[in-house]
Amino acid sequence: MRAKLVVVIACAAVLLAVGQVRAHHAFAAEFDVNKPLTLKGSLIKWEMVNPHSWFHVAVKEPDGKVTEWLIEGGSPNQLIRMGVTKNTVPIGTELTIEGYRAKDGGLKAVGRNFVLPDGSRLFLGGSAPGGTPDKK
Amino acid sequence: MNRRSLVSIGALVLGVGVLSASLVAQQVATPLAKPAPAAKAAAPTGKPYTPPTTPDGQPDLQGFWTNSTYVPLERPQGVTKEYYTPAEAEAAINAAADREAEQTEPGTTADVHYDFSQFGLDRSQSKFAASLRTSLIIDPPDGKMPPVNAQGQKRAADRAAARKQAGGQYDSVQNMPIGSRCIIMGGSGPPMMNAGYNANYQIVQAPGYVMILTEMIHDARIIPLDNRAQASQGVRQWTGLSRGRWEGNTLVVETTNFNGKNPFRGASENLKVTERFTRTADDMIDYKFTVEDPATWDRAWTAEAPLAKTDGPIFEFACHETNYGIPNILAGARAEEKAKAEQAKKGSN
Repeated sequence: MRAKLVVVIACAAVLLAVGQVRAHHAFAAEFDVNKPLTLKGSLIKWEMVNPHSWFHVAVKEPDGKVTEWLIEGGSPNQLIRMGVTKNTVPIGTELTIEGYRAKDGGLKAVGRNFVLPDGSRLFLGGSAPGGTPDKK
Repeated sequence: MNRRSLVSIGALVLGVGVLSASLVAQQVATPLAKPAPAAKAAAPTGKPYTPPTTPDGQPDLQGFWTNSTYVPLERPQGVTKEYYTPAEAEAAINAAADREAEQTEPGTTADVHYDFSQFGLDRSQSKFAASLRTSLIIDPPDGKMPPVNAQGQKRAADRAAARKQAGGQYDSVQNMPIGSRCIIMGGSGPPMMNAGYNANYQIVQAPGYVMILTEMIHDARIIPLDNRAQASQGVRQWTGLSRGRWEGNTLVVETTNFNGKNPFRGASENLKVTERFTRTADDMIDYKFTVEDPATWDRAWTAEAPLAKTDGPIFEFACHETNYGIPNILAGARAEEKAKAEQAKKGSN
């Protein structure tokens, strides 16, 4: 029991440390927690850039008009180390983006989750989108 | 997010922990693949490890290394021992990996972020240095940083007051954290601290020099080994100025002349960091650092943060060029101000 307690406490401390080091910038300052959104569209372009990658997605509005949204994701370096390239997610891939809209009101959002048509989350570390998707 | 398979870590920690209650470091393969077999780190021969040498005769530290770790800098509250048992260490790592992989609660500030797991950025998804230690700090013996002295507290208060006087954090780009502005991040050091992700380094040696390249953000420390004197106090840099020497198989690097704009744990610009690199296995460097700054702490303190061999190369982290987050944040702050002003105007009409 005592050992268990020690581990639990250790985990809490580890998590605290993680929170301190992992964020490059305050996403909650860039995107609005009060503006959650879900977008459906097809991939136009993936900017594999640092500190964060950006996905350009064509979203069809109810009136048929197509608008381009920019979706912020993570640093691509580890993905590149895993063998992921821009070709891993082909242009035209249909994506559902669950995220939050930019505070400046532009057509930008953080991609909390990138979801494939079969409902699985896009796991970019595998041979996405068909390879090792991450089940919800 | 799927639960990561980290079972082999327990075997790893057990395997090496039984051999010795000292430092354990090991690479762990990306967990979606089968984790790497345990412990090349400490062969059970009882013979001391002899590192290879470079053509000019230096102990060879060259290659690609990571200091990614689950061990916190300071010993957690309630933990009084220096080492976990292998079972406790395994449980702690597995629990932390599970927590990292969990989805955050929608509608919370924490949820306003991309999913680290989807981008392979959870620590369990790349190689990391495993250890039985309960804290990176080994001195003071309680595993905690010494208390900040009166001088250090006053400087912290002065810095806070200066920040307040400069206005809100999002009033101007100069008020934003230097990491967010892509100037320097914690991995560069010295001391080299776990950056959370992309925690990778390359060490290159040439006659008379050692170079350490940090992936995030592409800082290269060039360390002369020729016993030259330190530069004058007027020459100050973000990563300080380093001078190195060999003590047997250990590379000792002393760094001073920091510019004070990136204070390590609240230190003053007169911080002195002494690092010790000792290759203890083909896939491990024992990395220790001692921090001295009488203007902040009444005593020196030392941590041990092993470097585990990882895969190269170091990829470019061209941070500033596409740091779209900065204009987005500033534009968001202006939009909020405008909305508030309009609201106030409506209220007064």
